[in-house]
Amino acid sequence: MASRKEQKEQARQRRMAEEQALAEKVRRQRRLQMMVGVVVAAVAVIAVAIAVSTSGGSGGGNGLQHGKALNQTEQQVSSLLSGIQQSGTTLGNPKAPVTITYYGDLECPVCRDFTLQGGFPQLVSNDVRQGKVKVVYRSFCTATCNSHPSSVFNQQQVAAYAAGLQNLFWNYAELFYRQQQDETTDYVNSAFLNALAEQIPALDLKKWQTDLKDPSLLAQVQSDEQQASSIGVSGTPTLVAKGPKGEQPVGATVPTYSDLEAAIKQVS
Amino acid sequence: MTTATRPAPASSPGRTGASALTIAILVVALIGLADAAYLTYEHYNGLSGLLCLGGHHGHSSCTTVQSSTYSKLDGVSVALLGLIGYVALLATLPFRGDLFKAAGFGIALIGFGFSAYLTYREVFTIKAICEWCVGSAICMTLLVILTGIRFLRAGPATP
Repeated sequence: MASRKEQKEQARQRRMAEEQALAEKVRRQRRLQMMVGVVVAAVAVIAVAIAVSTSGGSGGGNGLQHGKALNQTEQQVSSLLSGIQQSGTTLGNPKAPVTITYYGDLECPVCRDFTLQGGFPQLVSNDVRQGKVKVVYRSFCTATCNSHPSSVFNQQQVAAYAAGLQNLFWNYAELFYRQQQDETTDYVNSAFLNALAEQIPALDLKKWQTDLKDPSLLAQVQSDEQQASSIGVSGTPTLVAKGPKGEQPVGATVPTYSDLEAAIKQVS
Repeated sequence: MTTATRPAPASSPGRTGASALTIAILVVALIGLADAAYLTYEHYNGLSGLLCLGGHHGHSSCTTVQSSTYSKLDGVSVALLGLIGYVALLATLPFRGDLFKAAGFGIALIGFGFSAYLTYREVFTIKAICEWCVGSAICMTLLVILTGIRFLRAGPATP
Protein backbone atom coordinates (compact mmCIF):
# COMPACT_ATOMS: atom_id res chain seq x y z
CA MET A 1 0.00 0.00 0.00
CA ALA A 2 1.24 3.43 -0.84
CA SER A 3 1.88 5.79 1.98
CA ARG A 4 -0.21 8.93 2.37
CA LYS A 5 2.71 10.99 1.00
CA GLU A 6 2.90 8.81 -2.13
CA GLN A 7 -0.87 9.02 -2.61
CA LYS A 8 -0.66 12.80 -2.41
CA GLU A 9 2.16 12.84 -4.94
CA GLN A 10 0.19 10.58 -7.32
CA ALA A 11 -2.87 12.80 -6.99
CA ARG A 12 -0.73 15.89 -7.67
CA GLN A 13 0.78 14.26 -10.77
CA ARG A 14 -2.70 13.24 -12.02
CA ARG A 15 -3.91 16.80 -11.57
CA MET A 16 -0.89 18.14 -13.39
CA ALA A 17 -1.40 15.66 -16.24
CA GLU A 18 -5.06 16.65 -16.51
CA GLU A 19 -4.14 20.32 -16.52
CA GLN A 20 -1.49 19.72 -19.18
CA ALA A 21 -3.94 17.75 -21.32
CA LEU A 22 -6.50 20.53 -20.97
CA ALA A 23 -3.91 23.19 -21.81
CA GLU A 24 -2.80 21.20 -24.86
CA LYS A 25 -6.43 20.80 -25.96
CA VAL A 26 -6.97 24.56 -25.66
CA ARG A 27 -3.73 25.21 -27.56
CA ARG A 28 -4.76 22.81 -30.33
CA GLN A 29 -8.17 24.46 -30.63
CA ARG A 30 -6.56 27.90 -30.71
CA ARG A 31 -4.12 26.72 -33.40
CA LEU A 32 -6.97 25.33 -35.51
CA GLN A 33 -8.86 28.61 -35.15
CA MET A 34 -5.70 30.49 -36.18
CA MET A 35 -5.28 28.19 -39.15
CA VAL A 36 -8.83 28.87 -40.33
CA GLY A 37 -8.15 32.61 -39.95
CA VAL A 38 -4.89 32.34 -41.90
CA VAL A 39 -6.60 30.38 -44.70
CA VAL A 40 -9.42 32.95 -44.96
CA ALA A 41 -6.93 35.85 -45.03
CA ALA A 42 -4.70 34.09 -47.60
CA VAL A 43 -7.68 33.34 -49.87
CA ALA A 44 -8.69 37.02 -49.68
CA VAL A 45 -5.16 38.16 -50.61
CA ILE A 46 -4.99 35.66 -53.51
CA ALA A 47 -8.43 36.78 -54.78
CA VAL A 48 -7.34 40.45 -54.77
CA ALA A 49 -4.03 39.58 -56.51
CA ILE A 50 -5.86 37.60 -59.21
CA ALA A 51 -8.38 40.43 -59.69
CA VAL A 52 -5.54 42.97 -60.13
CA SER A 53 -3.65 40.61 -62.45
CA THR A 54 -6.72 39.95 -64.61
CA SER A 55 -7.64 43.63 -64.86
CA GLY A 56 -4.12 44.43 -66.03
CA GLY A 57 -4.16 47.53 -63.87
CA SER A 58 -5.12 49.87 -66.69
CA GLY A 59 -8.04 52.20 -66.76
CA GLY A 60 -10.74 52.81 -69.36
CA GLY A 61 -13.13 50.50 -71.18
CA ASN A 62 -10.75 49.48 -73.98
CA GLY A 63 -7.71 49.41 -71.70
CA LEU A 64 -6.22 52.56 -73.21
CA GLN A 65 -4.72 55.24 -71.02
CA HIS A 66 -6.57 58.42 -70.12
CA GLY A 67 -5.88 61.73 -68.44
CA LYS A 68 -2.55 62.18 -66.67
CA ALA A 69 -1.18 58.75 -67.66
CA LEU A 70 -1.90 59.42 -71.34
CA ASN A 71 -0.37 62.91 -71.17
CA GLN A 72 2.77 61.43 -69.69
CA THR A 73 2.94 58.73 -72.39
CA GLU A 74 2.41 61.29 -75.17
CA GLN A 75 5.20 63.43 -73.73
CA GLN A 76 7.57 60.46 -73.58
CA VAL A 77 6.83 59.51 -77.20
CA SER A 78 7.17 63.10 -78.34
CA SER A 79 10.52 63.65 -76.57
CA LEU A 80 11.88 60.39 -78.03
CA LEU A 81 10.84 61.07 -81.63
CA SER A 82 10.58 64.83 -82.07
CA GLY A 83 13.14 66.23 -84.48
CA ILE A 84 13.90 62.82 -86.01
CA GLN A 85 12.95 62.37 -89.64
CA GLN A 86 10.33 59.73 -90.42
CA SER A 87 9.45 58.39 -93.84
CA GLY A 88 6.90 55.59 -94.02
CA THR A 89 8.19 52.93 -91.62
CA THR A 90 11.72 54.37 -91.62
CA LEU A 91 12.98 56.29 -88.62
CA GLY A 92 16.04 58.48 -89.09
CA ASN A 93 18.05 60.03 -91.87
CA PRO A 94 17.42 58.06 -95.10
CA LYS A 95 21.10 58.56 -95.94
CA ALA A 96 22.35 57.07 -92.65
CA PRO A 97 25.22 54.63 -93.38
CA VAL A 98 23.75 51.84 -91.23
CA THR A 99 20.24 50.45 -91.51
CA ILE A 100 18.67 48.32 -88.80
CA THR A 101 15.71 46.35 -90.04
CA TYR A 102 13.31 45.59 -87.20
CA TYR A 103 10.89 42.68 -87.80
CA GLY A 104 8.07 43.14 -85.32
CA ASP A 105 4.50 42.38 -84.32
CA LEU A 106 2.67 45.17 -82.49
CA GLU A 107 1.01 42.66 -80.13
CA CYS A 108 4.31 40.95 -79.30
CA PRO A 109 5.25 41.59 -75.64
CA VAL A 110 8.94 40.89 -76.30
CA CYS A 111 8.91 43.60 -79.01
CA ARG A 112 7.31 45.93 -76.47
CA ASP A 113 10.08 45.16 -73.97
CA PHE A 114 12.75 45.80 -76.59
CA THR A 115 11.11 49.00 -77.82
CA LEU A 116 10.42 50.46 -74.39
CA GLN A 117 13.01 48.96 -72.04
CA GLY A 118 15.61 47.29 -74.25
CA GLY A 119 18.26 48.97 -76.37
CA PHE A 120 15.83 50.74 -78.70
CA PRO A 121 15.27 54.05 -76.82
CA GLN A 122 19.03 54.58 -76.44
CA LEU A 123 19.60 53.65 -80.09
CA VAL A 124 17.07 56.28 -81.14
CA SER A 125 18.36 58.96 -78.72
CA ASN A 126 21.98 58.45 -79.77
CA ASP A 127 22.69 56.86 -83.15
CA VAL A 128 19.41 57.57 -84.97
CA ARG A 129 19.21 61.16 -83.73
CA GLN A 130 22.81 61.75 -84.80
CA GLY A 131 22.07 60.42 -88.30
CA LYS A 132 24.40 57.41 -88.02
CA VAL A 133 21.66 54.77 -88.10
CA LYS A 134 18.15 54.49 -89.50
CA VAL A 135 15.58 51.92 -88.39
CA VAL A 136 13.22 50.31 -90.88
CA TYR A 137 10.22 48.44 -89.51
CA ARG A 138 8.91 45.28 -91.16
CA SER A 139 5.85 43.25 -90.14
CA PHE A 140 6.10 39.63 -89.06
CA CYS A 141 3.22 37.88 -87.29
CA THR A 142 4.11 36.00 -84.08
CA ALA A 143 2.19 36.77 -80.88
CA THR A 144 -0.93 37.95 -82.72
CA CYS A 145 -1.14 34.82 -84.87
CA ASN A 146 -0.77 32.62 -81.78
CA SER A 147 -4.29 33.55 -80.66
CA HIS A 148 -5.95 35.31 -83.59
CA PRO A 149 -6.51 34.96 -87.33
CA SER A 150 -4.02 36.79 -89.54
CA SER A 151 -6.74 39.34 -90.39
CA VAL A 152 -6.30 40.87 -86.92
CA PHE A 153 -2.56 41.17 -87.53
CA ASN A 154 -3.13 42.72 -90.94
CA GLN A 155 -5.64 45.20 -89.52
CA GLN A 156 -3.34 46.45 -86.76
CA GLN A 157 -0.22 46.61 -88.93
CA VAL A 158 -2.11 48.43 -91.70
CA ALA A 159 -3.35 50.95 -89.09
CA ALA A 160 0.27 51.70 -88.18
CA TYR A 161 1.37 51.81 -91.84
CA ALA A 162 -1.48 54.24 -92.56
CA ALA A 163 0.02 56.55 -89.92
CA GLY A 164 3.30 56.00 -91.77
CA LEU A 165 1.77 57.59 -94.89
CA GLN A 166 1.74 60.78 -92.79
CA ASN A 167 5.28 59.99 -91.53
CA LEU A 168 3.94 59.16 -88.08
CA PHE A 169 4.38 55.37 -88.11
CA TRP A 170 6.75 55.36 -85.13
CA ASN A 171 4.43 57.57 -83.06
CA TYR A 172 1.65 55.06 -83.67
CA ALA A 173 3.88 52.04 -82.94
CA GLU A 174 5.26 53.61 -79.74
CA LEU A 175 1.74 54.40 -78.50
CA PHE A 176 0.63 50.85 -79.37
CA TYR A 177 3.51 49.25 -77.46
CA ARG A 178 3.00 51.55 -74.48
CA GLN A 179 -0.67 50.52 -74.24
CA GLN A 180 -0.26 46.94 -75.35
CA GLN A 181 -2.45 44.40 -73.53
CA ASP A 182 -2.66 40.65 -73.11
CA GLU A 183 -2.17 39.22 -76.61
CA THR A 184 -4.55 36.35 -75.94
CA THR A 185 -7.50 38.74 -75.55
CA ASP A 186 -9.44 40.45 -78.36
CA TYR A 187 -8.46 43.99 -77.40
CA VAL A 188 -7.32 44.95 -80.89
CA ASN A 189 -10.36 46.12 -82.85
CA SER A 190 -11.37 49.16 -84.89
CA ALA A 191 -12.26 51.16 -81.75
CA PHE A 192 -8.85 50.47 -80.17
CA LEU A 193 -6.96 51.33 -83.36
CA ASN A 194 -9.01 54.53 -83.86
CA ALA A 195 -8.45 55.59 -80.27
CA LEU A 196 -4.70 55.15 -80.72
CA ALA A 197 -4.79 57.29 -83.87
CA GLU A 198 -6.66 59.98 -81.94
CA GLN A 199 -3.79 60.10 -79.45
CA ILE A 200 -1.45 61.50 -82.15
CA PRO A 201 -2.17 65.24 -82.33
CA ALA A 202 -0.29 65.68 -85.64
CA LEU A 203 -2.25 62.92 -87.42
CA ASP A 204 -4.92 63.88 -89.94
CA LEU A 205 -7.56 61.46 -88.70
CA LYS A 206 -9.78 61.66 -91.80
CA LYS A 207 -6.89 60.90 -94.14
CA TRP A 208 -5.74 58.07 -91.84
CA GLN A 209 -9.23 56.52 -91.93
CA THR A 210 -9.31 56.74 -95.72
CA ASP A 211 -5.80 55.27 -95.99
CA LEU A 212 -6.85 52.22 -93.96
CA LYS A 213 -8.62 51.04 -97.13
CA ASP A 214 -5.51 51.53 -99.29
CA PRO A 215 -4.75 48.05 -100.69
CA SER A 216 -1.07 48.88 -101.05
CA LEU A 217 -0.70 48.91 -97.24
CA LEU A 218 -2.03 45.38 -96.85
CA ALA A 219 0.22 44.33 -99.74
CA GLN A 220 3.16 45.88 -97.90
CA VAL A 221 2.38 43.91 -94.71
CA GLN A 222 2.12 40.67 -96.69
CA SER A 223 5.26 41.41 -98.65
CA ASP A 224 7.13 42.11 -95.37
CA GLU A 225 6.07 38.71 -94.05
CA GLN A 226 7.16 36.90 -97.21
CA GLN A 227 10.49 38.69 -97.19
CA ALA A 228 11.01 37.88 -93.48
CA SER A 229 10.22 34.19 -94.06
CA SER A 230 12.57 34.08 -97.03
CA ILE A 231 15.52 35.16 -94.86
CA GLY A 232 14.59 32.75 -92.06
CA VAL A 233 13.00 35.11 -89.52
CA SER A 234 11.21 32.95 -86.96
CA GLY A 235 10.51 35.29 -84.07
CA THR A 236 10.07 38.90 -83.08
CA PRO A 237 11.82 41.16 -82.49
CA THR A 238 14.40 40.17 -85.09
CA LEU A 239 16.95 42.86 -85.86
CA VAL A 240 19.40 42.90 -88.71
CA ALA A 241 22.06 45.60 -89.06
CA LYS A 242 23.28 46.42 -92.57
CA GLY A 243 26.13 48.75 -93.43
CA PRO A 244 29.14 49.25 -95.69
CA LYS A 245 30.80 46.11 -94.29
CA GLY A 246 27.82 43.82 -94.74
CA GLU A 247 24.98 42.43 -92.67
CA GLN A 248 24.89 41.34 -89.04
CA PRO A 249 21.87 39.92 -87.16
CA VAL A 250 21.54 41.07 -83.54
CA GLY A 251 21.57 37.87 -81.49
CA ALA A 252 19.88 38.61 -78.15
CA THR A 253 16.19 38.00 -77.49
CA VAL A 254 15.68 41.47 -76.05
CA PRO A 255 18.75 43.27 -77.43
CA THR A 256 20.41 45.78 -75.17
CA TYR A 257 22.09 48.92 -76.45
CA SER A 258 25.47 47.13 -76.20
CA ASP A 259 24.14 44.29 -78.42
CA LEU A 260 22.98 46.84 -80.99
CA GLU A 261 26.22 48.80 -80.81
CA ALA A 262 28.26 45.63 -81.34
CA ALA A 263 26.27 44.79 -84.48
CA ILE A 264 26.52 48.38 -85.78
CA LYS A 265 30.29 48.38 -85.22
CA GLN A 266 30.67 45.17 -87.22
CA VAL A 267 28.88 46.53 -90.28
CA SER A 268 30.20 50.13 -90.15
CA MET B 1 16.00 1.10 -10.42
CA THR B 2 13.48 3.48 -11.81
CA THR B 3 16.02 5.46 -13.83
CA ALA B 4 16.93 2.40 -15.99
CA THR B 5 13.38 1.94 -17.26
CA ARG B 6 12.41 5.60 -17.41
CA PRO B 7 11.04 6.45 -20.90
CA ALA B 8 12.50 9.29 -22.91
CA PRO B 9 10.67 12.60 -22.45
CA ALA B 10 7.54 12.70 -24.60
CA SER B 11 8.63 15.90 -26.29
CA SER B 12 11.96 14.53 -27.61
CA PRO B 13 10.70 12.85 -30.82
CA GLY B 14 8.51 15.87 -31.47
CA ARG B 15 11.51 18.16 -31.12
CA THR B 16 13.59 16.06 -33.53
CA GLY B 17 10.68 15.96 -36.00
CA ALA B 18 10.12 19.70 -35.79
CA SER B 19 13.81 20.41 -36.33
CA ALA B 20 13.91 18.19 -39.42
CA LEU B 21 10.78 19.96 -40.66
CA THR B 22 12.36 23.37 -40.09
CA ILE B 23 15.48 22.30 -41.99
CA ALA B 24 13.31 20.98 -44.84
CA ILE B 25 11.43 24.31 -44.96
CA LEU B 26 14.75 26.20 -44.91
CA VAL B 27 16.17 24.16 -47.81
CA VAL B 28 13.04 24.44 -49.99
CA ALA B 29 12.65 28.16 -49.23
CA LEU B 30 16.31 28.81 -50.12
CA ILE B 31 15.88 26.99 -53.45
CA GLY B 32 12.76 29.07 -54.14
CA LEU B 33 14.60 32.22 -53.09
CA ALA B 34 17.44 31.53 -55.53
CA ASP B 35 14.91 30.83 -58.31
CA ALA B 36 12.96 34.05 -57.63
CA ALA B 37 16.18 36.09 -57.29
CA TYR B 38 17.36 34.87 -60.70
CA LEU B 39 14.02 35.69 -62.34
CA THR B 40 13.93 39.11 -60.66
CA TYR B 41 17.48 39.87 -61.84
CA GLU B 42 16.60 38.82 -65.40
CA HIS B 43 13.33 40.76 -65.33
CA TYR B 44 15.10 44.02 -64.51
CA ASN B 45 17.97 43.29 -66.92
CA GLY B 46 15.92 42.92 -70.08
CA LEU B 47 15.70 39.09 -70.01
CA SER B 48 18.70 39.01 -72.32
CA GLY B 49 20.44 36.13 -70.52
CA LEU B 50 17.42 34.14 -69.36
CA LEU B 51 18.20 30.43 -69.65
CA CYS B 52 15.32 28.26 -70.78
CA LEU B 53 14.65 24.87 -72.34
CA GLY B 54 11.53 25.61 -74.40
CA GLY B 55 11.13 27.77 -77.50
CA HIS B 56 8.21 30.00 -78.47
CA HIS B 57 7.99 32.16 -81.60
CA GLY B 58 11.72 32.25 -82.14
CA HIS B 59 12.59 33.13 -78.57
CA SER B 60 12.47 31.17 -75.34
CA SER B 61 9.18 30.24 -73.72
CA CYS B 62 10.49 31.74 -70.45
CA THR B 63 10.91 35.09 -72.23
CA THR B 64 7.33 34.86 -73.51
CA VAL B 65 6.03 34.21 -69.98
CA GLN B 66 8.27 36.84 -68.38
CA SER B 67 7.19 39.44 -70.96
CA SER B 68 3.49 38.68 -70.69
CA THR B 69 1.03 40.92 -68.87
CA TYR B 70 0.90 38.28 -66.11
CA SER B 71 4.56 38.82 -65.24
CA LYS B 72 3.61 42.00 -63.39
CA LEU B 73 1.09 42.75 -60.69
CA ASP B 74 0.06 46.39 -60.91
CA GLY B 75 3.45 47.22 -62.40
CA VAL B 76 5.50 45.18 -59.92
CA SER B 77 7.33 42.09 -61.17
CA VAL B 78 5.73 38.91 -59.77
CA ALA B 79 9.25 37.46 -59.51
CA LEU B 80 10.11 40.29 -57.10
CA LEU B 81 6.93 39.62 -55.13
CA GLY B 82 7.94 35.94 -54.94
CA LEU B 83 11.40 36.93 -53.75
CA ILE B 84 9.87 39.10 -51.01
CA GLY B 85 7.59 36.17 -50.08
CA TYR B 86 10.51 33.75 -49.67
CA VAL B 87 12.46 36.28 -47.58
CA ALA B 88 9.43 36.90 -45.36
CA LEU B 89 8.86 33.15 -44.95
CA LEU B 90 12.51 32.58 -44.03
CA ALA B 91 12.30 35.43 -41.53
CA THR B 92 9.57 33.57 -39.60
CA LEU B 93 11.66 30.40 -39.19
CA PRO B 94 13.86 31.29 -36.18
CA PHE B 95 10.83 32.21 -34.06
CA ARG B 96 9.00 29.66 -31.89
CA GLY B 97 5.62 31.24 -31.31
CA ASP B 98 2.42 30.05 -32.95
CA LEU B 99 1.97 33.48 -34.51
CA PHE B 100 5.20 33.15 -36.53
CA LYS B 101 4.35 29.59 -37.57
CA ALA B 102 0.92 30.79 -38.68
CA ALA B 103 2.52 33.68 -40.56
CA GLY B 104 4.92 31.28 -42.32
CA PHE B 105 2.01 29.06 -43.33
CA GLY B 106 -0.01 32.08 -44.50
CA ILE B 107 2.84 33.38 -46.69
CA ALA B 108 3.35 29.92 -48.21
CA LEU B 109 -0.39 29.59 -48.82
CA ILE B 110 -0.57 32.95 -50.62
CA GLY B 111 2.49 31.97 -52.68
CA PHE B 112 0.98 28.61 -53.50
CA GLY B 113 -2.40 30.06 -54.52
CA PHE B 114 -0.95 32.77 -56.73
CA SER B 115 1.59 30.34 -58.25
CA ALA B 116 -1.28 27.98 -59.10
CA TYR B 117 -3.10 30.86 -60.86
CA LEU B 118 0.05 31.84 -62.79
CA THR B 119 0.68 28.22 -63.82
CA TYR B 120 -2.91 28.08 -65.10
CA ARG B 121 -2.24 31.25 -67.12
CA GLU B 122 0.98 29.76 -68.53
CA VAL B 123 -0.71 26.57 -69.69
CA PHE B 124 -4.08 27.86 -70.89
CA THR B 125 -3.62 31.55 -71.74
CA ILE B 126 0.00 32.23 -72.67
CA LYS B 127 0.49 28.64 -73.91
CA ALA B 128 4.17 28.73 -72.98
CA ILE B 129 5.94 27.24 -69.98
CA CYS B 130 8.65 28.92 -67.94
CA GLU B 131 10.63 26.25 -66.09
CA TRP B 132 11.79 28.74 -63.47
CA CYS B 133 8.19 29.69 -62.69
CA VAL B 134 7.17 26.02 -62.46
CA GLY B 135 10.18 25.46 -60.16
CA SER B 136 8.99 28.23 -57.85
CA ALA B 137 5.42 26.87 -57.95
CA ILE B 138 6.73 23.44 -56.86
CA CYS B 139 8.70 25.08 -54.01
CA MET B 140 5.59 26.94 -52.86
CA THR B 141 3.52 23.72 -53.01
CA LEU B 142 6.07 21.91 -50.82
CA LEU B 143 6.28 24.89 -48.47
CA VAL B 144 2.54 25.10 -47.92
CA ILE B 145 2.53 21.40 -46.92
CA LEU B 146 5.61 21.66 -44.71
CA THR B 147 4.64 24.90 -42.97
CA GLY B 148 1.09 23.54 -42.49
CA ILE B 149 2.46 20.41 -40.75
CA ARG B 150 4.88 22.54 -38.72
CA PHE B 151 2.10 24.79 -37.54
CA LEU B 152 -0.34 22.01 -36.63
CA ARG B 153 2.26 19.77 -35.00
CA ALA B 154 3.93 22.49 -32.99
CA GLY B 155 4.35 21.72 -29.28
CA PRO B 156 4.74 24.31 -26.54
CA ALA B 157 8.53 24.55 -26.92
CA THR B 158 9.30 23.20 -30.37
CA PRO B 159 11.08 25.42 -32.88
